[in-house]
Amino acid sequence: MRDAIRRLLRQRKAAVGASILLGFLVLALVGPFFVQDPTELLGQPHQPPSGAHLLGTTGQGQDVLAQTVVGARETLAIGFTVGALVTLVGALVGVTAGYLGRRVDDALTLTTNVFLVIPGLPLAIVLGAYLPSGPLRMVVVLTFAGWAWNARIFRSEALSLRGRDFVAAAVVAGESHARIITRELLPNMASLVASSFIGNTLYAVGAQVGLEFLGLGDVGAVTWGTNLYWAGNDAALLTRSWWIFVPTGLCIALVGFSLTLLSSAIDELTNPALRLPPRAPEARPAATPVHLAPEAGALLSVRELSIEFTTEGGLTRAVDQVSLDIAPGEILGLAGESGSGKSTLGSALLRLLPPAAAITQGRVFFEGVDVTALSPEALRAFRWSRVSMVFQSAMSALNPVLPLGEQFHDTLAAHDRTGSRAASYARARELLAMVGLKPELVDAWPHQLSGGMRQRVGIALALALEPRLIVMDEPTTALDVVVQKELLQRVVELKARLGFAILFITHDLPLLLALADRVGILQAGKLVEVDTAQRLRTEARHPYTRLLLSSFPHLGADDVPPPAADVLEQATATNKPGLAALPGGRR
Amino acid sequence: MHYVLRRLGFYLLAAWASLTMNFVIPRLTPGDPATAMFARFEGRLSPDALVALRAAFGFTEAPWHVQYLTYLKHLLTGDMGLSYAYYPSPVTEVIGTGLLWTVGLAGCAVVISFAVGTTLGVLAAWNRGGWLDSALAPVLAFLGAFPYFWLAMLALYLFGFGLGWFPLRHAYSHDLEPGLTLAFLADMGRHAVLPATSIVVATLGGWMLSMRNTMVAVLGTDTLRLAHAKGLPARQVMWRYAARNALLPNVTGFGMALGFVLSGSLLTEIVFSYPGTGYLLILAVRNQDYPLMQGLFLVITLAVLAANFAVDLLCLWLDPRTRAHA
Repeated sequence: MRDAIRRLLRQRKAAVGASILLGFLVLALVGPFFVQDPTELLGQPHQPPSGAHLLGTTGQGQDVLAQTVVGARETLAIGFTVGALVTLVGALVGVTAGYLGRRVDDALTLTTNVFLVIPGLPLAIVLGAYLPSGPLRMVVVLTFAGWAWNARIFRSEALSLRGRDFVAAAVVAGESHARIITRELLPNMASLVASSFIGNTLYAVGAQVGLEFLGLGDVGAVTWGTNLYWAGNDAALLTRSWWIFVPTGLCIALVGFSLTLLSSAIDELTNPALRLPPRAPEARPAATPVHLAPEAGALLSVRELSIEFTTEGGLTRAVDQVSLDIAPGEILGLAGESGSGKSTLGSALLRLLPPAAAITQGRVFFEGVDVTALSPEALRAFRWSRVSMVFQSAMSALNPVLPLGEQFHDTLAAHDRTGSRAASYARARELLAMVGLKPELVDAWPHQLSGGMRQRVGIALALALEPRLIVMDEPTTALDVVVQKELLQRVVELKARLGFAILFITHDLPLLLALADRVGILQAGKLVEVDTAQRLRTEARHPYTRLLLSSFPHLGADDVPPPAADVLEQATATNKPGLAALPGGRR
Repeated sequence: MHYVLRRLGFYLLAAWASLTMNFVIPRLTPGDPATAMFARFEGRLSPDALVALRAAFGFTEAPWHVQYLTYLKHLLTGDMGLSYAYYPSPVTEVIGTGLLWTVGLAGCAVVISFAVGTTLGVLAAWNRGGWLDSALAPVLAFLGAFPYFWLAMLALYLFGFGLGWFPLRHAYSHDLEPGLTLAFLADMGRHAVLPATSIVVATLGGWMLSMRNTMVAVLGTDTLRLAHAKGLPARQVMWRYAARNALLPNVTGFGMALGFVLSGSLLTEIVFSYPGTGYLLILAVRNQDYPLMQGLFLVITLAVLAANFAVDLLCLWLDPRTRAHA
């Protein structure tokens, strides 16, 4: 907690917001002792700022400075009180609904949603009109009109926490509801409580000022809202007395702005995606020897490629001086643990690195052309038409709001491979059929397909421009064994027919040994060994490779490579050691 | 279709809830409108008149459920009682024209603000750390911290009273005959510029920030990675893949923020004496015109419910996943 606060203050936004707010709190507390009586008629009405009245006088002759300073006190007091009350009520309703679920949730959520769609100001006015005037009325009215938004947020947070293991464990352990809520749920909502409180205070100050401007406050009290109410009543505009309403408005805006800054700082703290990503490291061309050249006859040549990430602790090298070649029509497997840099290397072939990463040295040659030196437009044309990609997450990679046909059409049109939308759809049908899907699915939306079907769509898309190389980044990891096997069989068939090469990335070494022509082993960004699948099985040289191999106990050195037809069956079966370990190794 | 019916059912329920609150609030709180009005006349009304007034407001000696049924019956026939401030005009008549002005002014301003703000949010997220993101966003956030009506006062002060570029009050010049003539429409437009602009300026930052934040989240997804990998033109990736997906949660948010934004616009009307429902609201508050106040609450609420339903239909059109469940 203390650590979170310290990190928060290190942010510029939070620091600025907190100082402004603190300044106003001090002003509200001690300011009134240093100014004149804000209600007394001290001077002539509508006097511009002068030595006697630094901010001039109101339409009745009161001191504007005194009114602004004294007004801060009640305005902020009501603002923070309502902010706290709304947070409390919202959290109680929301957490109860989210935690207890079922009928309680149904009833509370329905009530919350009804209050959400009823506009707050008219509701507050109707309620306010019937209550006796005073600060208490303002507090009641604003809390009643504003709690719903919070309840909604707290409910969804409670729902997501309730599904987590530590809460489930407490439930199983038979702890009481009250204890679970106070001990397990609420402490985990600290940042939500903080940002809600700030947001609610922002709402409270704004709504309070609005109601008071309407004359629904206590018009005898001195608050920022009543100041503006009197400014309106006393013809501040007509008499061109800007000094009557400008100072108060600026104060309201500064308080509001400081609260906005604080809440946005908290958002960034809890949601790192909102923070500005660190700048990618600079390329160091000087470190790249000029003599680097592609292998003759190779489709792809990676030469001394290094990729670095900017992180909080400085630069991290994800790929370290890797060189490899892929021949036309070859399947090169790339294996390694998570974090070994294999996916980063795969993305780099299309220059698809995240914003914080960059190729800092080395080259990637594709058909002799240096990919690292392509201009943005040449790179765009290069992507997908020469090298395409199948993601592990192809299921979530399809655009959910476009039918499949459109996503094929976009791809074809971007590379001038289609004459019309109708032609694109015809080609899409053909591609879908190639991966074993019904052509009619061209009109389907991604959410209508199963995970395996979407992965097939991913492969069909990758084939759309007939690239020479397809990077497959864990394309089957998220699928179950049967679907995985069918898919890989299809890939091998298509490769035989169309002749593209594959860079197959996975952590599943047995699968690679069965599938790939050659296999490379990545460890901590370094390519420690590349060899044919057959030789790796029997005579791996690097100790890390041997370690990887030995972690799959059924892959002994005396294993004879099975004939091609059975390759995939064995490869997929080895994924499930329980099955593969059965006598005979096959089902 | 199922989805549409369910939403419709929900809005009917919400409408019923607000009708009922409208009935319950005056009866649960101390004091009733008739007594308050009676007090204003300081003994110039006879006690008989008080009874008559109470009856006119529906506060009879009858049991609650009978009063409630009478209340609902009156509402169903479009009878919201007589306005006190515009006595003897019926409340429905007073509100009718006001609602038209409000829908026209606030409706246009909110739609313009949402469209412009969302576009700015898309651009700011696309060029993270660019001038739009690092300079314009904070400026708009600061402007958004001012009360709408205060920005309206400032705009009126500077461009109305100061420079004299725009008319000072009302929705049209009273020497013009209302009608579909070019002169009248131009005059109406001139009257709407300042109030509409101040609403747009006050709300722009909010839309921009929320679109920027969802857009930033979408930019990190695999959908966007695939779009880039496919070699699509940047413009297409930005609009058709990123913005199109980021728009969905923002349209939902738009529906939920409507009531809030409308509340702010009502206060703006007051500054310009714009003859919409906001201006009527302050008249009702100042004259303690309870029937008008309650009628306004109902009408404004129903309008917001209707707008929310329209937003739901828009979401349905935008999101194939919601459509699937419909």
